[in-house]
Amino acid sequence: MAWPRLLLRFALEGLQGQRGRSLLTMLGMGIGTASVVAVVSIGLVGRDYVVSLIEGVGSNLVFAYGTGIGPNPTELSFEDLDLMRQRVRGMAALAPVLDDAAHIPIRGEPRVVAVLGSTASYYQVRNLRMTQGRFFTETEDENFAKVCVVSKELARELYGSVPLGEVYLRLFDLRFRVIGVYQEGVESAAALEKSEAAGLVAIVPFWTLKHVGNTRYVDVVYIQAQSPETVPTVVEDLRQILLSQYGNLDGYTIESLDTYLTLVDQVSDAITLGLMAIAGVSLLVGGIGIMNIMLVTVTERTRDIGIRLALGAGRRDILLQFLLEASILSLAGGVLGVVIGAGLPLWIGFVYDVAVPVSAASVVIAFGVSVLVGLFFGLYPARKAADMNIVESLSYE
Amino acid sequence: MSRPAEREPLIRLAGVTKTFGHDGVPVVALRGLDLTVHRGELVAVMGPSGSGKSTLLHIAGLLDADYEGTYQLDGRLMSGLSADELAPLRNRSIGFVFQQFHLLPQLSILENAALPALYARDRAPAECDRAARQRLEQMGLGDRLDHRPNELSTGQRQRAAIARALVNEPSLLLADEPTGALDSKNVAEILDLFAALHRAGSTIVLITHDREVASIAERIIHVRDGHTIDGVA
Repeated sequence: MAWPRLLLRFALEGLQGQRGRSLLTMLGMGIGTASVVAVVSIGLVGRDYVVSLIEGVGSNLVFAYGTGIGPNPTELSFEDLDLMRQRVRGMAALAPVLDDAAHIPIRGEPRVVAVLGSTASYYQVRNLRMTQGRFFTETEDENFAKVCVVSKELARELYGSVPLGEVYLRLFDLRFRVIGVYQEGVESAAALEKSEAAGLVAIVPFWTLKHVGNTRYVDVVYIQAQSPETVPTVVEDLRQILLSQYGNLDGYTIESLDTYLTLVDQVSDAITLGLMAIAGVSLLVGGIGIMNIMLVTVTERTRDIGIRLALGAGRRDILLQFLLEASILSLAGGVLGVVIGAGLPLWIGFVYDVAVPVSAASVVIAFGVSVLVGLFFGLYPARKAADMNIVESLSYE
Repeated sequence: MSRPAEREPLIRLAGVTKTFGHDGVPVVALRGLDLTVHRGELVAVMGPSGSGKSTLLHIAGLLDADYEGTYQLDGRLMSGLSADELAPLRNRSIGFVFQQFHLLPQLSILENAALPALYARDRAPAECDRAARQRLEQMGLGDRLDHRPNELSTGQRQRAAIARALVNEPSLLLADEPTGALDSKNVAEILDLFAALHRAGSTIVLITHDREVASIAERIIHVRDGHTIDGVA
């Protein structure tokens, strides 16, 4: 136990003789380590953010729609919808959406409001949250009930902050009772530009709208699969139905959010890998800085090394002393880097009051890598020191 | 004083040849040198510069293992041993005193004197410090222990170096021009010290070109052109 402590003392004595230089080398190493911590954190946080956006739209979601372009009728018919209800396997819920529009006077101005018609399961499938009231039920849908739920935005435009009571909305010359106010599971889901439920929207029961509105086709059909494993089955069954109806898939699109999730994973992995490579380069630069400074140190201390060897130090003693000096430099740099790399996001999080998670894995990785860098880049100078010719190094000026 | 023949040999060099410059023009520093130094002797090795006397010291001091011929130190064959085998032998058996002192400038003289004991790794650091302190006090430096070498006079530095050389109680003390960097007052002081160590039983080999220094030796070996001229006195 005394010997390692003694080697540590020799190493620290060595570093003390060149404080300014050691600090600069540590800083170089620290910046490399900090960039690794920061990059991994940014990569993970960014990925989590995008994934939460996608999952907020609804989990295990598959959807089909006509694009309106192509030789086919290019919109989903009510017959298509019936076939889907009957034939698609592995689905937990199905929510067709009819898309209509109504003019509603808001503060004296006529405004266009999107009127969607869907089933009671739309609420679940699209991961909506009710800020007030409730969504309509299956019974209300089957009975052509004149009820509606409105988006938070529409509620704000119509009523301000007035809570829900006996409020009615006039659509298609009929009075619809407003029974709830919703918002999307993830507010920024609109950022994905996939949401018809965003903006000034009123949602009414499917059968009600089919009867009173002017819809001749189904705008989009959402299907929630029972599990991630049944998503491919659902997609395949939808394909078969459309193929049997139209002979080909021109003008129709079937998508699942899994496609997006896989894409996000691939993209974020690629970005993280790219950033890691850049951070790795800065670690490499830090490591080369250590090697450089250690080579200078070994040359400068040639006589010191010669004296130690003459006094009976073993080659291993010299090797370990210089390896230890390099490791102390890189480890101290690593600590500095973790403090910067983890401290900065935490500080930003504190100042702007947002959660900026720091990846614990990245801290551990950065720490370990910085020590390895020190050992790796310190080995060559340390060997050079240990293999010195004693007679020549004693006469070194 | 007993005759040399009755003492046991400490150093026995036989047919030692050392050649420098393997890839350039070879320069022969030692050619077939024979030398025997007995235990308890104080021997001076003299010769002009370039005669090979420093090379002789490097080989005898186990600093240079690259030579032909045989070297026995205290009855044990040194020639052919590896650098890793020589390091502990050098540490325990040999104490060096250099012309330029070769003290580590960043350490106090106490830390300097303790170094050989620390590298021996058989005593606790505190005990190494105690041995070093004892040697430094013996050299009259008891009140200078925490001073760094550049805070001392040249004579004091050389005494600190001698304390360091003695800390592991080596069987052989090798001094390479030990008074070369000292003024005349300090020369006498250091020579007195060597004489005292000799009287106390140390085996000492002094390398010098100075007749005054050589005068304290009981035997003078002249080296010229890589071999001894009057090796056996």
